[in-house]
Amino acid sequence: MATSVLLACGLNEQKLPGFIHISEESNVDGSFLISCVLGQRLRISNAGTLLVCLQHHYQHYFNAGMRLGYNTNIFQGKTLGVIDVLSDMAGEGLASKWLTNTEGQTLTEQLVDDIRAQVESNYANRNSYTVLIDNLSILFNLGASKLQVQQFCQDLAALAKEREKLTVITKLSNSDIYQLTDNNVAKLGQVRIQVLRLKSGVFREVDGKLLIERVLDEGNYACEETRKEVLYKVNDRNVKVFAPGEIGVKV
Amino acid sequence: MTSFRKRTVQKPIRGTRTSPHTAQVITSSGNPYLDVVIGGGLPLGSICLIEEDRFMTHAKVLAKYFLAEGVISKQEIFLGSLDDIPAEMLRRLPRPLTDQESMEQSEVQALGDGGAENGLRIAWRYNDLPLVNSEHATAKIGHHFNLMEQMDSMMLYNVKTTLWDDSPKHLDIVIDEEFSKSSSPTTPLLEQQPVEDAPPIPGAEIAPQEKIPAQEDENSVNNNNNNNNCSSVTCSTKTGSQESQMQLFHNPRYKGLLNDIQQVVRNESFVAGTKNNLCRVCLTSLGSPLWYDEHFGEDLIKFLTLLMASVRSCNSVCLITMPMHLIAKYDASLVPKIRQLVDYAIELESFAGSERETHPAFKEYSGLLHLHKMSAINTLAVHMPETPDLAFKLRRKKFIIEKFHLPPELQESSAKPDNCISGLLSNSNATASLDF
Repeated sequence: MATSVLLACGLNEQKLPGFIHISEESNVDGSFLISCVLGQRLRISNAGTLLVCLQHHYQHYFNAGMRLGYNTNIFQGKTLGVIDVLSDMAGEGLASKWLTNTEGQTLTEQLVDDIRAQVESNYANRNSYTVLIDNLSILFNLGASKLQVQQFCQDLAALAKEREKLTVITKLSNSDIYQLTDNNVAKLGQVRIQVLRLKSGVFREVDGKLLIERVLDEGNYACEETRKEVLYKVNDRNVKVFAPGEIGVKV
Repeated sequence: MTSFRKRTVQKPIRGTRTSPHTAQVITSSGNPYLDVVIGGGLPLGSICLIEEDRFMTHAKVLAKYFLAEGVISKQEIFLGSLDDIPAEMLRRLPRPLTDQESMEQSEVQALGDGGAENGLRIAWRYNDLPLVNSEHATAKIGHHFNLMEQMDSMMLYNVKTTLWDDSPKHLDIVIDEEFSKSSSPTTPLLEQQPVEDAPPIPGAEIAPQEKIPAQEDENSVNNNNNNNNCSSVTCSTKTGSQESQMQLFHNPRYKGLLNDIQQVVRNESFVAGTKNNLCRVCLTSLGSPLWYDEHFGEDLIKFLTLLMASVRSCNSVCLITMPMHLIAKYDASLVPKIRQLVDYAIELESFAGSERETHPAFKEYSGLLHLHKMSAINTLAVHMPETPDLAFKLRRKKFIIEKFHLPPELQESSAKPDNCISGLLSNSNATASLDF
């Protein structure tokens, strides 16, 4: 269902790079990537996953997962941990801890602490652990500054460096508006996936483009990078990828 | 012992059904043509943004459809606006058509447009085919409305409505009274213009000039500040958290509005996953110049983020109209940020006041409808319409959205369309167009 897109992005391996960043351009929806990665990580035996819900609440990922063929409810509380910021804010209103500076901590600091606590309690028992954060732009919306968001990502990258089996995957929407932060955060990781819209218009067969950039560790030059571009189409129960030029106009 | 389990069919919420495309629970936007475009209706928990046309005529029509649908379906309504008088808007909702009238109307339309009287002489086999894709005819939710006639005010009796217009005249009274923390869920929060300006909405219980706060006492303190500055807390039971709440919005109107919305949607009737009832939240002209202040962009985005969180977590749908053309002039980067926070972003480009108003290619239409965003909420893929080229017509009785198509080039027309178009588009040597 999602194997092809994960294969194209190089995210189908059991051991993922330490930090992966997904940049989503304006007016493009890259939520399917998070759902695909989530499904893949949940299927791996004894692999822990922490989902930080900022863009959608947990129910969305559950429903999307059912479309892709996995049930997150089975894993929740076991290999799947959830920090549902959106639902917390809805339930507690303006008294939510995410909206108030409790104990003098900012939103990003509280979030890092919560993530760290979850990782520390679950990491030891797992073959691998993945932290999925969807979406960093919500932190900007809630008042976090560029510096705070950058520091937040750096803390997570440092956490991933400390623990060999830990992978952090972040997503930032409106990456063309938050270009500076997007580039800085992408530099922290080895893989960058850009979700781009089709520049020439709208096409029924293709929803957008994925540009995958991967930094290679091997070789004499540590800055070697591979780039790959694929087209994608999100269907009701799967995601298809195409090579550029593969799809033509059907007459 | 068999594994057979009797399937219990749960009664759906009034005015909703399960979408055949996405298996989500959807409800009508009020306009059947718009429902077809967005895949049958608005999913529960979604926010639909209507980017207003320049003169705000057509966006308000869609908002009225949205509210009227809520009244007919007996869903709870929250209406907030600074530009309009919410009470007045509720009184001027369009009258619903009966099933008989709807059928007659569609038959008349088919006959009138099909030209059965004239008939097709050469392509006579196409006589019986419908002119436009009549997908909307199969919609099982939603009603048709007559824009020429107003809804009977008695219909509002059965509907709980909550109005918000940040009226300052009540706030002086509110600040002096003791607040009751427990608010009755059956008593809607009604804020309206003074009684001498407009009579109260029938059916809605009128609070005796008393605002029952949501959860914190300082909300009304914020609203009372006409300078839109964050005022200090005068009566509060909490300390540090309240001060940080105070700084959440620089403009206290956002906080007041959000508090009122959250108070309504947190009612147990709208708990997500239950089948009790649905709440329709309608905010018109959000982000208009009446909302402007120094921190306009920041507050607006924060408000929309928290609104998204509230609406997603309960059985509600939200329709917002915003003058995006004005917001874009204020700060162009706000436009994609706002669209990111909504599930449907639909722009109405009206021809009024533009050269297209008299252009022969657009004479049938009142404007173009642009789908800037349709996102998948609670599902993987979003339903895409057959074509993104849509136009709308505001007729006397209804608001129609259909595929935009150019009129046929007839041999009888003396002036070639190319010349007309080139003449209109080129500013130089435009002897036909007059520059004043």
